[in-house]
Amino acid sequence: MAIIEMKDMVQAGLDRAVEMMALAAHNSYRFGNRNTVKCISVGKEEMEQIAEFAYSLGDMSPLAARDGRFLRDLIKEPCALLIFGDKRKSDLNFNCGACGYRTCAELNRAEEMESLTARGPSCQFKNISLNIATNAAASMAWRLGLHCRVFSTLAMAAFALQIIPDVDVVASVCVSAAKVDPFFDRHKFWTQEHWDETFSKEFPTFTRGFIGAVE
Amino acid sequence: MSIERSMKQFELDRKESVRLAARLLLASGTTSPRVGGVGECTIHIVEDECEIEELAQKVEGMAEENTAWKTFRRDAAMLRDADAVLVITSLRCLTDPADINCNMCGRLTCEYYRQVERLPAGPGVAYTGPLCVFRANNMAYAIDAVIQQARTMGIDYGVFWSAGAAAMRMKIVPRDTGFCVAVAISVTEKSPFRDIPVKYDEMNERTMNDRIIKRLWPQFRSIYS
Repeated sequence: MAIIEMKDMVQAGLDRAVEMMALAAHNSYRFGNRNTVKCISVGKEEMEQIAEFAYSLGDMSPLAARDGRFLRDLIKEPCALLIFGDKRKSDLNFNCGACGYRTCAELNRAEEMESLTARGPSCQFKNISLNIATNAAASMAWRLGLHCRVFSTLAMAAFALQIIPDVDVVASVCVSAAKVDPFFDRHKFWTQEHWDETFSKEFPTFTRGFIGAVE
Repeated sequence: MSIERSMKQFELDRKESVRLAARLLLASGTTSPRVGGVGECTIHIVEDECEIEELAQKVEGMAEENTAWKTFRRDAAMLRDADAVLVITSLRCLTDPADINCNMCGRLTCEYYRQVERLPAGPGVAYTGPLCVFRANNMAYAIDAVIQQARTMGIDYGVFWSAGAAAMRMKIVPRDTGFCVAVAISVTEKSPFRDIPVKYDEMNERTMNDRIIKRLWPQFRSIYS
């Protein structure tokens, strides 16, 4: 009988799990009975590009830098990144006003705004459907026992690098089969001194007593 | 012959199960992810039959306001069959943009977004946009968490943005609510949210009952007794 190593089984299981997540996202609830959400799974090379790009945004967005640096570490162990996207214009004809235009036709006629993160203005309900698909994928990952987190930073980096083509708004789910959950409590990225310094800079009043009180 | 005791018990237990299920769905929706871990959504349970009727009437009334909202009459008919309605809100999308300059609203930066004039509230406007899309997207996670839990528990559900908009107009949700969607649930043998014929607002179980049993039978009875 052939012996299969655990490492290979974990990788194969992860590959299958990613397919299941895409399936769950594909069949998730959406408004207006339309299925326009696109989904791709990116490989290690693309994840490396995304990580570098997100890290390079440090000056503009510390959050993106943190996630970029985190992704660089994450790809050393079995992991996958699913990116979801959809077009911004409304084909729903709800005329709900959430986008700031009275009718869907007005939204679709409005001037398009380009940026690195998304193209706007976008239909609120298209966005909700996109994120419901994202959550359905994350929910499937959770049920399958994978480590999982939803990232908008990595999705926006993939959008800027044009890794996911022909979409205007994006979201992403990252899953991992690492030995311990890498997505939460990520304390290894800073020292205690750095943390203390940043905390006292951001929340200077935290340790301050009542003005005029004798300590 | 009067209805059997065990049947009455079943009806009471069915209603109790809706109350419990609504609270479990609320738990699932509340613990679903939020971007940046910032609290954003609240979930309100409407389970009183009279309150559901009020909501349905408001939805029905809104159908006249906008040509795109004709389906609201059908939604109202479905809501009347619901055992409970969970109203999910987004509290930050109107007043507190996410400050990440994502451009999903089309205003490039959140500073520009703050300067944009909002749609005035009034007939034909469901939400006074533009909303912070990035913030409002949190609601997608809450909606899906409620749906996933309902599916897991085997509870029939329907998602209605019409009822969400109506709940905002009825002011039964917090003041800061900018975006609102409702999930109706039902514990019955046939889901009232599936297999919806055309003209369901005119021809549904309630109107059939009203026309055929409540009108024809008493007449038949007076004539043939």
